[in-house]
Amino acid sequence: MSRRLPPRRRLTRPQWAISVAAGLAIIGFVGAAQWNSSLATQPFITSAQRVLISEAEQLQRQQETLRAEIEAADARVQTFQEADAGSQAVLRQLNEDLLAARLATGLDPVRGPGVVVEIADSQRAVPEGESGTNYIVLVDDLRDLITALWGSGAEAITVAGGGGAGGPAERIVATTSIDGAGPAILINSARLSPPYRIEAIGPEGLHDRFLAHPSYLKRVARRIEAYGLPFASEPRDEIELAAFIGNTRLRWGAPVVEPN
Amino acid sequence: MSGRIAQLSLFLVAVVIGTLLVAQLRSQARPIELSNLSAQELSALIETLSARNVELGDALADLREQIRSYELAEVQGQSTLDLTRTELERIEAFGGLREVLGQGVVVTIEGSFDATAINDVIYELRGAGAEAIAVDDVRITARSVAAQGAGVIEIDGVALGSTVEISAIGSPEGLQSALQRPGGILTVLEQSINAQFSIAPTTRLSVPATERDLTPQAARPVE
Repeated sequence: MSRRLPPRRRLTRPQWAISVAAGLAIIGFVGAAQWNSSLATQPFITSAQRVLISEAEQLQRQQETLRAEIEAADARVQTFQEADAGSQAVLRQLNEDLLAARLATGLDPVRGPGVVVEIADSQRAVPEGESGTNYIVLVDDLRDLITALWGSGAEAITVAGGGGAGGPAERIVATTSIDGAGPAILINSARLSPPYRIEAIGPEGLHDRFLAHPSYLKRVARRIEAYGLPFASEPRDEIELAAFIGNTRLRWGAPVVEPN
Repeated sequence: MSGRIAQLSLFLVAVVIGTLLVAQLRSQARPIELSNLSAQELSALIETLSARNVELGDALADLREQIRSYELAEVQGQSTLDLTRTELERIEAFGGLREVLGQGVVVTIEGSFDATAINDVIYELRGAGAEAIAVDDVRITARSVAAQGAGVIEIDGVALGSTVEISAIGSPEGLQSALQRPGGILTVLEQSINAQFSIAPTTRLSVPATERDLTPQAARPVE
């Protein structure tokens, strides 16, 4: 006995018409949102602002060139240091000390287990009468997150803008400044934009200790909650952090050298 | 036939929705454009970038001078160990592994303050160009932060008293004016905590080396 297969079910006209109508409604909604956001990012620019923007862009390009040249010059200096023709034993010890000092101070790239933290500006509409500043990532937020990571045992930290896709990550070293420039944040000498991605290498348990650290809980965790700043963090088995590129020269002081 | 049309219509609608959603998400994650900054914010940014570029230019000039010295020593057949030793001392001083002597300011804080206030002052000093910082006798490295211990504030395991002295090597005028500017860190702290602050510029200041072992345990060099 042969069994006839049931007729293949097809969308009837009203069903697909409803689906297309729903789809078109979503297109209309998203299209309107896209149109509104593109309008909002084209503010009126005065000629004076245009001059300032051009100058700032030029300075940023100059900075990129300087950093690339510093990186190349530093590599050249290291080549000389490793190839000295003097006493091999003294040279070996000196190079070991140099490597240890560079590693301890953030001048060499490192890898190891750690955590990744991301924070961005809020997507919530700013209520009338409230400051829009509350809804963006502030200098203090990044400072507190970094303080919490160091306090939790981090051994090396970098911060990158654009969620990690906004240029090279900035290594946090002893002289690192974290300052505001309008809604942007300057770390070392680089201008970073949100979302900010902080990566830290440290011993096991770093992530749990970070989330329980007072420097995280006191200010920034409250702001994340109150203003809806998108925030995420997770432990990682292996991450790689870039070296610091910038000025390591002392201008106002000098190292104290013990007499031999 | 009508089934094919329905599938095609749904496919096209899905493609358009997907494209628009991606465009919308990308526009929300867009970096801050310079055109969104006010003239005042742009001026502040230009001032900061200019100052930082001068620092980077100086650093590059120093590195080039160092390369010339190495090249010269090589041509003359001399050992460059002394040059390398000087470089080691410089890196150690930069990272807090060596004592630094220079000019700068001493900030004294007395009264009721918390760990956050100390960390805020340290960040502010770094922003003003401090090259080496110590809180009392504790050298501040990248990893040093003030934390609330058992009833006391601690930095690198050392307890602080009710009066602390923060020594910072850098431009005395630059550091002082950055801390005391209207709306600056000291104004904010004086309004929010019950503590007194004083700043004294000095031409001879010693900042000790850290006593903390900064050798990383989890982080290892990239080969």
